[in-house]
Amino acid sequence: MSFIQIFLLGMLIVCALAVSLTKNLLTSLIVYMAYSLIMAIIWMMLESPDLAITEAAVGAGITSVLFFVTLKKIHAIKGDREHE
Amino acid sequence: MLDWLRFILSFAFLVSGLLIMITAVVGVYKFDYVLNRMHAAAMGDTLGILFCLIGLTFNAPDIWTVFKLILIIVFLWFSSPVNSHLIARLEVTMNPQWHQLPLSPEHLMEEDS
Amino acid sequence: MSKKRSDWESRPQARIKKWFFDGYSAFDDEIINQISVKTPDPVNHAVYDAYIDEISANKHERKLMIEKFEDQNVRSWINARGRKVFTRFYVILSFLLACLMIFFLLRTVAEMPRFGSETSPGINEVTARYIEKGLDETGAMNIVAGMILDYRAFDTLGESTVLFIAASAVLILLRIDRNKDGSPVMELIAEESDDRHYEPRNDRILQGAAKVLVPIIFLFGIYIILNGHLSPGGGFSGGAIISAGLILYLDSFGFEKAGRFFTYSTFSWVSFISLSFYALAKTYSFYMGANGMESGIPLGTPGAILSSGLILPLNIAVGMVVACTMYIFYALFRKGGL
Repeated sequence: MSFIQIFLLGMLIVCALAVSLTKNLLTSLIVYMAYSLIMAIIWMMLESPDLAITEAAVGAGITSVLFFVTLKKIHAIKGDREHE
Repeated sequence: MLDWLRFILSFAFLVSGLLIMITAVVGVYKFDYVLNRMHAAAMGDTLGILFCLIGLTFNAPDIWTVFKLILIIVFLWFSSPVNSHLIARLEVTMNPQWHQLPLSPEHLMEEDS
Repeated sequence: MSKKRSDWESRPQARIKKWFFDGYSAFDDEIINQISVKTPDPVNHAVYDAYIDEISANKHERKLMIEKFEDQNVRSWINARGRKVFTRFYVILSFLLACLMIFFLLRTVAEMPRFGSETSPGINEVTARYIEKGLDETGAMNIVAGMILDYRAFDTLGESTVLFIAASAVLILLRIDRNKDGSPVMELIAEESDDRHYEPRNDRILQGAAKVLVPIIFLFGIYIILNGHLSPGGGFSGGAIISAGLILYLDSFGFEKAGRFFTYSTFSWVSFISLSFYALAKTYSFYMGANGMESGIPLGTPGAILSSGLILPLNIAVGMVVACTMYIFYALFRKGGL
């Protein structure tokens, strides 16, 4: 394993922990997008470009957009100005 | 000789692009106000990606890769500024005090408290 | 009665006991305060007994009262201490369960063969046949497309059907009800579209960028779908990219303009035609009793765009189903309709 693979796997673990440990749902969603992108790069390094394209399009794109819309629908995105 | 020239050029462009991106990240964490952060992120992102991709074009194996990279640059230069514009417009729509910019540090302190 | 040592408080058992039974942690502060069950006032025994004697000398009623009193006591214990104890118990048990799962999973991982080793059970005659004869039998340069759309086309049929069923379920759950005469209920629509209040609508810059970008995204998605048997990609990823372009169009131009070319009937007809074509193309061998691999279409020269038999139309069918489904997910989540 090269250095960049170990680095990417470590970042994957860090992202996976951060998704579940952050309290703010919006932050964890953005970290989840980063997770998907790192996963796409890892698929590319494992020589499966089909999966990499699908992960980048579905995991980082469509799923995150659907999550954003859902958070907006249930009013879970709280700006700081709403409290004032 | 030509290989060395290509290597040096791509190295220079890649390193400068990465430096610009690092500056942008520092700016995003340093600034206080949304529009300032948006400005830092947008400018650094656009220019850094341009420099990185130009550095990669010097290392490309054939002309078609160069063409694809130029297409990627065009796509990113279309989409990234539009994203920043949407963020800025959302801020301007939602914050009634945006026109008092540039905000002084005291004003920001008051707003926080 | 044993005497407590002076340093009993600082011993680990005592601290664990304190933490378990009546400690204080941020966890129950967050959770329990949100639930906001008020602890009932502690019951005053003397007042209660006097009350019971006063209102009734009847033994039965007195028993009932005592039962109620004990019930209240239990309830107050549950509200005061029991939930805390239960939370501690729950935390410890979940931690132990997680440790157990991690142990078993790591044990399994340790016994797995190394990545790409020759002795792994994944490398058998099936894989060898896919790799050696895949190009001859399916005609697809991309071996993955040959696998998922020719050897194992039923899997992909199931995936597309699952997506369609998910879209139908979301349609049932999130669609806005209509009046009996077919017109939508205006209050519900106003309520649903209120979340767009602050968003930039009809933004000139976004529309100008979308005019340039949406055709490029469509073109890229169509390229990925049509080239699925030659290069990495295929119906699923290409359909997702096309649906991303559709979502960009919807966001920049609004529901009215998007509704001109994409309605419920578009969704249902495209999904119906694609899925039924897929199902017929892959199940006709059941009825005809033929070899499932041979489609009767000549495979063509590998590498040409019109080659590899049924893979290209099947890719198009899967891509259309995926694009329509993702777009309708977004539209339903956003507005509750098209």
